[in-house]
Amino acid sequence: MSKSGLRKRSMADHIADILIGIFLGILVFTTIYPFWHVIMYSVSDSYSSMSGGLFFLPRNFTLLAYEMLLKTNQIFVAYRNTVMKTLVGTGISVFLTALTAYPLSLSRFKGRNFISMLIFFTMLFNGGIIPTYLLIKSLGLLDTFWVYVIPGAMSAYNMFILRTYYRSIPSSLEESALLDGANPFQILFRIILPLSLPALAAIAMFYGVGNWNSYMGGILYVNDQRLQLLQVYLRQLIGAAGAKGALGDAGDLGPASRLTEETMKMTVITVSVIPILIVYPFLQKYYTKGVMVGSVKG
Amino acid sequence: MSAMLQSRTLNHRESRLQRFLRYMRKDYLLYLMILPGLTYIILFKYVPMYGITIAFKDYKVTSDILSAPWVGLENFANLFSRTAFIRALQNNVLISIYKLIFGFPFPIILSLLINEIQRSKAKKFVQTAVILPNFVSWVVIYGLLYAIFSPSSGAIKGIAEVFGYTGTIPNLLTDKDHFRAVIVISHIWKGAGMGTIVYLSAISGIDQNLYEAASIDGAGRWRQMWHITMASIRETIVILLFFRIGEMMYAGFDQIFAMSNDLVISVADIIDTYVYRLGLQQRKFSIATAAGLFQSAIGMLLVLTTNYIAKKIDPDSGII
Repeated sequence: MSKSGLRKRSMADHIADILIGIFLGILVFTTIYPFWHVIMYSVSDSYSSMSGGLFFLPRNFTLLAYEMLLKTNQIFVAYRNTVMKTLVGTGISVFLTALTAYPLSLSRFKGRNFISMLIFFTMLFNGGIIPTYLLIKSLGLLDTFWVYVIPGAMSAYNMFILRTYYRSIPSSLEESALLDGANPFQILFRIILPLSLPALAAIAMFYGVGNWNSYMGGILYVNDQRLQLLQVYLRQLIGAAGAKGALGDAGDLGPASRLTEETMKMTVITVSVIPILIVYPFLQKYYTKGVMVGSVKG
Repeated sequence: MSAMLQSRTLNHRESRLQRFLRYMRKDYLLYLMILPGLTYIILFKYVPMYGITIAFKDYKVTSDILSAPWVGLENFANLFSRTAFIRALQNNVLISIYKLIFGFPFPIILSLLINEIQRSKAKKFVQTAVILPNFVSWVVIYGLLYAIFSPSSGAIKGIAEVFGYTGTIPNLLTDKDHFRAVIVISHIWKGAGMGTIVYLSAISGIDQNLYEAASIDGAGRWRQMWHITMASIRETIVILLFFRIGEMMYAGFDQIFAMSNDLVISVADIIDTYVYRLGLQQRKFSIATAAGLFQSAIGMLLVLTTNYIAKKIDPDSGII
């Protein structure tokens, strides 16, 4: 399979192989270990963990930190908000993108070039943080759930990816449907979209991961704690405010509870990251395909 | 056939607008379909562009944009007299350059090395592992950095032990002298995997016969890598390089915002974070908008310039 395999491996080859292997091994370790460390820390006894160092196994396994976290209300609020944002936001985004890309993929659509340029231009130049903030304020979207899903609804980049994919579908399918009297909506939903599942999956992934991780919207446009996002909550916890600020009333740390701020931070990080870690191996395949589709000039 | 010709000549006097309206009526469903997306773009991308005029006005929160008085370039003069802005601009450019110099070659080298792996299972595993950090938010990455590098309870103590280091460990996350390195390295950590996807897919398209032929001619492994693999992905590299250069005015808002603190702000504050503080926290809207406009304008200029240069080198390249 690999081109090097066609040659006989010399001594120098083997040494090079080993060195490459060591380098990549260390790299993979630096990629995976931090996650492992944080998870292990969160299920370790706080006081055994305080001395720091490498964690390969929990030190005095305990779920105390999780118990404490579950008593806090805000973690549930933040989690719920982020899940809602991801589900609703991704749904709206994929729908809007799929809809918009279709007319632009048709050569018979007059105004196609103009509108495409209009959308492309937004990738080069934008109004900036302040004008966008003022617009959102005047639309009354501040401190609402909708500010999480509407302002960022469609990404021009994803739209062009989908448009390129639509174009790769043989036009004969569309033409025969038109002859049968189908309207564009029917063609889109019954023919084009079912054939575009790989591309749709890819952009759904991009939007989904983006929605789960993005937090600037939460920082810029939302102050209401009831709408707080998971990442914003996490940042509050790790940052200056610390655990006291984020845990509220349930936060009783210290010798009496056998919990430290450190452990609580690790616990919230774990809880934020577990969904991604679980879902990732399955989605990575689509992600790779999606990036490849996107990297072809469209 | 002749009927069609006849109707064409009959209609040749209609204006372009009338012709356009005729097309619209015929295919009105298509226009209906694009309406939501178009509305979204105009509302959320183009309407704020009108707000850029604030950069040339003296805008107070209480008034509305239309009635605010014009002050010409006064806001820009004010902006450039602020040391905090100059500092933010410097940091922005420096951090972007560091990310380019250190961050750009890394995925390329990594792709070449991954490509050398013989066993496909190991290859897939390494790729999967290396792409993982890309899926995680900057806040989480900050948390991970904290977990590793905290001098009191971090993993770094264990690592130091392994190497036999017993001195004091500096807190890299609050140390001005090392913070930019942390920014660049964490940027590489998060982004390298993504880069390998693009390069590896380009590499997989290389004709295997080239390697056979080179082997027969006596080329060793490294020469093959340089002359065949590297040469084949050269175009991809150039395109991506110009992309990055064009993005230099944007040094990573999410990252800096998540990881920054008061102790390192002098070396890490970039234009975006500066605009956020000046505009939304200190409410100096006009000047902050001027900074944003400066950033967008220079950014666009960079993209257009690098695209032009790229086209001169290779007419098929470029993003425009």
